[in-house]
Order: sequence, then structure tokens, then C-alpha cells
Amino acid sequence: MDPVLFYMFAAGMVLFTLLTISSRNPVYSAIFMILSFASTAGLFVLLDAFLLAVVEVLVYAGAIMVLFLFVIMLINLRTEEQEGLRLNPLAILAAGTFLALMSRALGDLGPAVTSLPNELQGSPDLIAETLFTRYVVPFEAISMLLLAAILGTVVLARRSKDA
Amino acid sequence: MITLEHYLALSAMIFTLGLCGVMMRRNVILVLMSIEIMLNAANLALVAFNKHMIPAADGSVGPDGQVMVFFTIAVAAAEVAVALVIAMLLFRRLDTVSVDDVANLRW
Repeated sequence: MDPVLFYMFAAGMVLFTLLTISSRNPVYSAIFMILSFASTAGLFVLLDAFLLAVVEVLVYAGAIMVLFLFVIMLINLRTEEQEGLRLNPLAILAAGTFLALMSRALGDLGPAVTSLPNELQGSPDLIAETLFTRYVVPFEAISMLLLAAILGTVVLARRSKDA
Repeated sequence: MITLEHYLALSAMIFTLGLCGVMMRRNVILVLMSIEIMLNAANLALVAFNKHMIPAADGSVGPDGQVMVFFTIAVAAAEVAVALVIAMLLFRRLDTVSVDDVANLRW
């Protein structure tokens, strides 16, 4: 059952990502990207990261993609400006080189550590405990970063109104 | 049997697709989406590594990789909020979202 689910979600993820980057209409791209993130959430469940699967759907597929769709609707691109992938030989070379490097690195991976059945690892209480003890300083730093992002967004959007 | 390599290969594939999107799309919003795809591929690798982590001396495996993914998601959200406002301003000032037309700073 596990391999079947893995290949299902993996195929979905690759397919929807491919459709995201190649769709001519940005709205279609956003919809396909939501499906791609949903497939990722499925893979997180297979990896026993249950809380992260929920967060992935809530934050990525929910909040971030709504933001993207809002801006796409506001910008309202003219049809003649829509275009798909522009195949650039240098870009293909760069992507191919990256993929070759990654497959070489995968070949050098040591003997795989057996994955222990450890359902507790993804449980909210264990993650919360780690987050608020060992990672409490990065956690506070992230809160400052989010505050800075909110303020920056408001200031940027406001100034353009006066101009 | 699905091993760590399966997840890492998938992660590398998705990251490459995101890389292609950044380099081959001209719409600034699609470039941002491709960056999100690359961040997501890195998240998948982090969670897969966490699942296959070597246990500590007492046999416990911490959720460190998953906590890292939390931080990545928070950073991605902050980045998208600011970047989309910049895209909006770009469209208001220059009436375009194509990265080719925004070359004011090119030497």
C-alpha cells in the first residue's frame, strides 16, 4: 500500500508542478500549484509528519495561494501578454547540470538508515516542545521577520497611493 | 519498499522544475511561484531526512527537520507578501509584469 501511495503522490506532484510552470494562464498555474502542494501534504503524511501536512495545506495551499490569486486578479494580464515556457538553451543546460550533480550526489549517499516506525515524531506536542525549547531563539527571530514583512508590505502599498 | 533515495530523487526533480520555471518564465508572478516550488522541494527533502535520521543514544528521534520546515514556511510567507507588493507596484508604475521590460538598473 505504501509504495502505491508514494508513487501516486509523487506522480501527482511532478505532473502538477510541470503544469504550473508551463500554463499560459497564471490563474491555471495557481490552481495547479494548489494541487501540487496537496500532493506534497500527502507525502508528508506518508513520512509521519502529520502536523506539517495540515500546516502545508493551511498556509501554502490556503493563505499563500490566495495571496497569489488576489494579485493575479488585480493585475489582470492582457491575453496577448500571456506566454508559456520560453525554451532557452542556456537555461536547459543549467537545469541539466543541476540534475546531473544531484543524481551524482544521490549515488554517493551512504547506506540508508532504516526508517523506524515512529508516529510520535510528527505529533504536535513533540514538535511544540522542540520549537519552544531548543529552537526558541529562531522562533522569536521569525516573529520579528513576519512583523517586518507586514510593516514593509503596508508601507510599500501606501506610498504608491500618494505618488 | 520506499527508501530515502526515492524522496530525495523526487525532491531534486521538483527543485529542477522550479529552477526551469525561474529561468524560462517572463511573468514576475510565475517566477515567484517557481521560487515557492523550489522552497517546497527543499521542505520535502528536510522531512524525508528527518524520518530517516539516526536515533540519539537513548533511541529517540527528535523532530528537528520538521521544526526547520516550519521556519521555511514562515519565511516563504513573509517573502511572498513583500514580493507580491513589489510586483503590484511594478505593474502600477510600468504597466508590465514581464521581467524583460524591467531593466532600469541594467548597466
